[in-house]
Amino acid sequence: MEREPAAAAEEPGPPGRRRRREGRMRTVCSNLQPPPGAEEPAGKGAPRRRLRGGAQHLADNRLKTTKYTLLSFLPKNLFEQFHRLANVYFVFIALLNFVPAVNAFQPGLALAPVLFILAVTAFKDLWEDYSRHRSDHEINHLGCLVFSREEEQYVNRFWKEIRVGDFVRLRCNETIPADILLLSSSDPDGLCHIETANLDGETNLKRRQVVRGFSELVSDLVSEFNPLTFTSIIECEKPNNDLTRFRGCIIHDNGKKAGLYKENLLLRGCTLRNTEAVVGIVIYAGHETKALLNNSGPRYKRSRLEKQMNCDVLWCVLLLICMSLFSAIGHGLWVQRYQEKKSLFDVPESDGTSLSPVPAAVYSFLTMIIVLQVLIPISLYVSIEIVKVCQVYFINQDIELYDEETDSQLQCRALNITEDLGQIQYIFSDKTGTLTENKMVFRRCTVSGIEYSHDANAQRLARYQEADSEEEEVVPRGGSLPLRGGTGGHPSARAAHQSQSSRAHRRTGSRAEARRVSMLTELTAFSSPMEKDVTPDPKLLEKVHECGRCLASARHQEHPLDHLSPELSDIFDFFIALTICNTVVVTSPDQPRQKVRVRFELKSPVKTIEDFLRRFTPSRLTLGGSSVGSASMAAKSAPKASLLSTLANDGALLRLEERLGPGAPRLASNGYSSAADNWAAEQSAMGPEPGPELRYEAESPDEAALVHAARAYSCALVGRLHDQVSVELPHLGRLTFELLHTLGFDSIRKRMSVVIRHPLTDEINVYTKGADSVVMDLLLPCSTDDARGRHQMKIRSKTQNYLNLYAVEGLRTLCIAKRVLSKEEYACWLQSHLEAESAVDNREELLFQSAIRLETNLHLLGATGIEDRLQDGVPETIAKLRQAGLQIWVLTGDKQETAVNIAHACKLLDHDEEVITLNAESQEACEALLDQCLRYVQSRSPQRTAGSLSVGFAPLCPPSEATASGPSLVIDGRSLAYALQKNLEDKFLFLAKQCRSVLCCRSTPLQKSMVVKLVRSKLKAMTLAIGDGANDVSMIQVADVGVGISGQEGMQAVMASDFAVPKFRYLERLLIVHGHWCYSRLANMVLYFFYKNTMFVGLLFWFQFYCGFSASAMIDQWYLIFFNLLFSSLPQLVTGVLDKDVPADVLLAEPQLYRSGQNMEEYRPRTFWLNMADAAFQSLVCFFIPYLAYYDSDTDIFTWGTPITAVALFTFLLHLGIETKTWTWLNWTACGFSVVLFFTVALIYNASCATCYPPSNPYWTMQTLMGDPVFYSICLLAPVAALLPRLFFKALQGTLFPTPLQLGRQLAKRSPGKFRAPRETSAQGHIPEEARTKLPGQRSVSVARSVSRDCSSQVSQGTWQPACSPEAGGEPSAVDMGMPWREGTLPDRLDSQPSRSSSPGPVAVEGCPGGSRMKPMSASRPAPLPSVFSVPGLSSLNWMSSLSLVSGLGSVLQFSRSSLPMDKRDSDFLPGSAQPDQDLCDLSGQTTDCF
Amino acid sequence: MKRKCQDYESRLPDNTAVKQQQLPAFRLQLTASEILSGFFAIGLFCLGMGIILLLSAKSIKEVEGNVYLYYKLYGFYQNLYRYILSRSNIQLVGADVKDVRNCAPFRTSDNGLPIAPCGAIANSMFNDTIVLWYNFNSSTHIRVPMVRTETAWWTDKYVKFQNPAFQNLSSAFAGTAKPPNWPKPVYELDEKDPGNNGFINDDFIVWMRTAAFPNFKKLYRRLHRIGNFTEGLPAGSYSFIINYNFPVSRFQGQKAVVLSTLTWSGGSSLFLALAYLVTGAVTLLASFSMMALHLKLKERKTFFLQ
Repeated sequence: MEREPAAAAEEPGPPGRRRRREGRMRTVCSNLQPPPGAEEPAGKGAPRRRLRGGAQHLADNRLKTTKYTLLSFLPKNLFEQFHRLANVYFVFIALLNFVPAVNAFQPGLALAPVLFILAVTAFKDLWEDYSRHRSDHEINHLGCLVFSREEEQYVNRFWKEIRVGDFVRLRCNETIPADILLLSSSDPDGLCHIETANLDGETNLKRRQVVRGFSELVSDLVSEFNPLTFTSIIECEKPNNDLTRFRGCIIHDNGKKAGLYKENLLLRGCTLRNTEAVVGIVIYAGHETKALLNNSGPRYKRSRLEKQMNCDVLWCVLLLICMSLFSAIGHGLWVQRYQEKKSLFDVPESDGTSLSPVPAAVYSFLTMIIVLQVLIPISLYVSIEIVKVCQVYFINQDIELYDEETDSQLQCRALNITEDLGQIQYIFSDKTGTLTENKMVFRRCTVSGIEYSHDANAQRLARYQEADSEEEEVVPRGGSLPLRGGTGGHPSARAAHQSQSSRAHRRTGSRAEARRVSMLTELTAFSSPMEKDVTPDPKLLEKVHECGRCLASARHQEHPLDHLSPELSDIFDFFIALTICNTVVVTSPDQPRQKVRVRFELKSPVKTIEDFLRRFTPSRLTLGGSSVGSASMAAKSAPKASLLSTLANDGALLRLEERLGPGAPRLASNGYSSAADNWAAEQSAMGPEPGPELRYEAESPDEAALVHAARAYSCALVGRLHDQVSVELPHLGRLTFELLHTLGFDSIRKRMSVVIRHPLTDEINVYTKGADSVVMDLLLPCSTDDARGRHQMKIRSKTQNYLNLYAVEGLRTLCIAKRVLSKEEYACWLQSHLEAESAVDNREELLFQSAIRLETNLHLLGATGIEDRLQDGVPETIAKLRQAGLQIWVLTGDKQETAVNIAHACKLLDHDEEVITLNAESQEACEALLDQCLRYVQSRSPQRTAGSLSVGFAPLCPPSEATASGPSLVIDGRSLAYALQKNLEDKFLFLAKQCRSVLCCRSTPLQKSMVVKLVRSKLKAMTLAIGDGANDVSMIQVADVGVGISGQEGMQAVMASDFAVPKFRYLERLLIVHGHWCYSRLANMVLYFFYKNTMFVGLLFWFQFYCGFSASAMIDQWYLIFFNLLFSSLPQLVTGVLDKDVPADVLLAEPQLYRSGQNMEEYRPRTFWLNMADAAFQSLVCFFIPYLAYYDSDTDIFTWGTPITAVALFTFLLHLGIETKTWTWLNWTACGFSVVLFFTVALIYNASCATCYPPSNPYWTMQTLMGDPVFYSICLLAPVAALLPRLFFKALQGTLFPTPLQLGRQLAKRSPGKFRAPRETSAQGHIPEEARTKLPGQRSVSVARSVSRDCSSQVSQGTWQPACSPEAGGEPSAVDMGMPWREGTLPDRLDSQPSRSSSPGPVAVEGCPGGSRMKPMSASRPAPLPSVFSVPGLSSLNWMSSLSLVSGLGSVLQFSRSSLPMDKRDSDFLPGSAQPDQDLCDLSGQTTDCF
Repeated sequence: MKRKCQDYESRLPDNTAVKQQQLPAFRLQLTASEILSGFFAIGLFCLGMGIILLLSAKSIKEVEGNVYLYYKLYGFYQNLYRYILSRSNIQLVGADVKDVRNCAPFRTSDNGLPIAPCGAIANSMFNDTIVLWYNFNSSTHIRVPMVRTETAWWTDKYVKFQNPAFQNLSSAFAGTAKPPNWPKPVYELDEKDPGNNGFINDDFIVWMRTAAFPNFKKLYRRLHRIGNFTEGLPAGSYSFIINYNFPVSRFQGQKAVVLSTLTWSGGSSLFLALAYLVTGAVTLLASFSMMALHLKLKERKTFFLQ
């Protein structure tokens, strides 16, 4: 917005100038003010009149999303429908019938199908519009409180009655009806919180602020805001759709101006939380609100199949023209032949002369086009739309795509690209939040160069991996477990109480409630117990306590921090930074979304200390009211004068503020001293007295993780207000930090900072938290001369080492740093910062600069490693998708090390495979590297191609080794930028194509989308992009199919996506099952459509040879027109919607089957033309059998045409029968319905009118035919004869050269139960998890007992013990004892063994004959237990457990697996995913034997 | 919070067979072994049908029983598009004799009177007379008794074609002209039988049912089974006396006269029987080859499933 910066300070300008600005600005004033002129000063009258005039054309709050009104429906809808070219074509054809010389049908009749199609579409639109209207009506009639001038109070009004300039009062949990400028809040700080879930899906609370500078002027004394006193004028932007921006200013009566920002605006659709009541003035209403401006409907894309289909439709048009042309020439010649003959059947023109050949040919051509128009399937588009809608419905309904945890299912946002899902070749995935959970878990940290590895914490996390987080609440914690109840392990009364209360809470809740609570927790904050509870590292904990003790004893002295050693001081600062350097809001779970407002003066047990502190450092914050007034304000507000005067000599800060002059926004603006006290009292009355369990609501999960980590070290964040943060510290009690500034996180700075005044030292500190790459560069350069500097250097290099280590472990790293500002430095910075804040023009830019100025010369405190855990089933999903022939690229903004590590964890990279890493510093280097890599790849390519050839036909065997042998490519963002240059992109692509997987690190959103675009355009491949965050939006939009993860990073990705899945793993089913089905269904349906129409038109065309090419049709025109629409449409729709060529379980077990879609095997040009040829053949048969049967008979043309129609119908249905792979009762019904409908309609039609329907005049034709045996014999013979070749060749092909799909089908039929078994267990996946809720120790005992009972002779109790002892004791060493394999050796053995693992199997089974008896003990997936059966190697057991015989044993074995250290789990147990294939091979082998 | 708990509804989709696409289904495998039996069945069925049809066609004794006399035209296109349009059903049903809207170009005569029956079909009506004589011996020629009614569909004669409601047929057609090609007006088509005159004349009705192909036959007369002819046409020599009115040489057409009987399976055409036989044979052949394949591949199957 180009606005003069001076405008903020100047008086209202001359009218002329204002008018000029009016185009870009909106001005709003109170509706409550009386009409201008009456008692107002003349000076103000002028602008107000103008404003009134301006206000008249502002939108009201009525929501109207309907497209049509009753009157406009028809024209508007028709206009929209004619945007589709096909409709225009069909109408054109229909209109051709009105030309007498060429008409083929009765004009009215010819219009019927077009009208029918148009009507169906129109009806659909109407229905949609009506449902929109109903929902609009509902929303419009919601109620809210609006201030009424007449009654001088808030009255209930409908939403639709709200107008711009109205004052609205909202209460807690109400939905905001319009975009409202916040004028008053019940919160003493002038704050309120809103939840924007409806808008962007983010469930954390966002803070909004009463208009700065306004509150003092209006409501300095009254506790309740009085709208009648509001006389200011608001100037703001025209309505726009930018949710993140709002600018404007408010002009008070006295001419003062104050800026308005995004923080002042409450957006429509959000929900008010945590705040009792707010009052605001409506700025934008109805369709001008940002929420509605952002609301764009579903997206329309055209799928690849549809493009191909359109191309084939063009071929059909060409064919139609050719046929018509052929016919026209034939007719011309025919006419010429008979022209001179004056034959009796010649129909002359009206003037008696015969038609000359050329015009006759032209007429014939046009008539033929009409007659053969069926070749272009009029109902194709409608049918496809119907089928797609149903497909979308079924995808949405799939219970296996439902995520219980988040209570969400898959969402299809794009309705018409379902079949693209079956053809994807490249998947581009984001990492964070997509492959990983985006649930941050604190893992380890380093402070002052010393690393704290948090081993116990790692073990705890390993346990969580096993037990589902939600079940945890039912479990009373065993004493042997390390304490994880936050501060529970420490002798603090408060903490003990806390854990007590939380436990009570857990015990009272039923399981269902516990689940709901956990769900609620999940929704409201990022704090599942897994993240909340951090087991502290004992060493560090000890240091923290020591630190606290030191400080507690030294706090009365001048510089308490100086008494700490540098290390302890760093530790102290480190935890302070973790606790306060964030924007976490503290709430209490008992009162959801109610901010805990603990007034420490009233309640804190350390009141005296606080008092002391206040005396020691007279901070105004300790006064609690946080009421700061400027001199000018103090003068105005008399009752506060005394208070303010005492405050005035508080410190340098205040004076500085005064120096900055009146009008400048104050550091902490708040005028609610009295109101604040009221509220505080109320709050304290409401608040639960014993320290409630606090809940942290953070904007990002990292923040929450760090705060929780700090809390585990007894540094608990207990309260955050607008300008202060309270922290509970060990031995020190509650400390309150005066929060001077919060410099929020942004992706350019990659860091955030808070500026606080330290209560102990009264120093001004800056705590910065950010990415290591950034923060490490901002550190204070330290000299190498003195010891201190050298020490610092050492610490830094150590920290850097640990950071690298963390990155290798796949942890997200953050550096924590601190800077101490002198008062002068701060004052200097503050001045510029305040200028930046008050600036109206490019405020963001200035603030950014200001932040950069502050965040320099930092002192490094330490670093944290946060684990972003892999989502469930990611490695398995990736393995399956790979098997399906999909190439997976990961594009991430993360560091290379982190990305590579995650890639290893999710099996994208194998440890033993080659990784090509491209890190180039310059364009030339990049080119050279690329060349080198290409040479290398080419040198090894011969063997690769040989390998891939050998796999050509082995669809039922384990995945080919050839695909696994390719190298992987890792490229960083910088090199990627070079590689994406025009001259290198081909090389890069060629290289990438050869690689098994590609990993792009440090890539920007733009690069992501460029990569996708490149692959899409250059490789002509189908691409799918999946991501969850705003940074993936561009990539999602560019890809053919965009998938959003409806996770925790807001809804932008989902909004931009075509499909939204709750978790990455659902992609497997979405693509491999639904994608395949959708593609195969639609491809087959489209082919069938083409076949059907060609075959039908063929019948008509062959007849032309017997009617002098005169374009007459033997099929009654009613049949001709309605055949496609009514008689033969339903069965194909049912098949198109329901047919499953291969069952889901086989598809999942054999992902290779997906390749058929990638290679377009079902619908490619060759199949299309074969299909057309078959159609031509069938039409020949169906024409000539009736022809020859009736040859030399006295049949008439339409009596002969009716059997042909019937034959065609039967042929279509039988053909569909051949093409349909699964016959459900719906298919049978549809086919029966078609036949019955045809005969019923024919009978009724032929009995309805004796003189109607020229020219066929079919009175009693069908009735007569049905008494004719010839009719039946034709109806039997012709379809059979027509379809025999197809059936025969299909059967031959299915026997001799079966496609993988056919093999899959055969397999499914031969062994249906064997595939169902794994699916059932996965469907009941939660049941085994419930079983796990039992205490691990107990369970192991009970299992041990059952084992000993069942096969006591073979397995002694003693051998069992080692395996379960780690469970009970929690000793890691015991685990090692139980597991014969170690980290390093295991993968190798796994890789080498699966092929020759069969021999030990029988031994194992023999060893325990009771194994079969153990079956009833059902449990989840089987897993090996080497210690029980001394079988060497894991893979043999894998094989063994694949036999259903030992599935019971599997459940016993399950356990030893759970006792594995957590970090081994991902990598070590993955080979289990190869199990189904192996399984399948075995099964297929068996089935063959049976066969 | 309690309320929230009640409001909470799971979005878990219904676990029904339809919604989960788990309907029990019959799966057809298109492999030799699976459809072998089907092929056999089809083949046998077709062969059986063929044999039945063949036998029934063979059972026809040429001129015994109900003998029908047909005239046959070659190269006469009654199925031309413009030709079949040129008629007025309203006129033919007797509702409005003057309704000639659809009869272009034969709507009105030169003097402006509406033509009855109008249109190209009616105008081109076959008007040869064919009389069959039985040469009992060299001197006695018996005119074979023929019925000229009931050659058309019942519904045509009694529903679709009606004379205008007048006592006197000629007055009913007053104010109309005869078609140009006709030698006499429509009410003189069969002056002997009022039930066969005017629009309801069987010859006329049969002609108006336009033939499907350029070569066609139309039923002309039925044998009146009396006297010598109760058992059909006795063996002997016959002669046709044909009054040639209908010119076909102009358009290189031909005319023929056919005497035939009918069976339940239509005319004496052997085509359907042969078609069934051929289809059956081919199907059986295919099924044998498939069986051979199946037997041969039975051992190989284990190979490619592993």
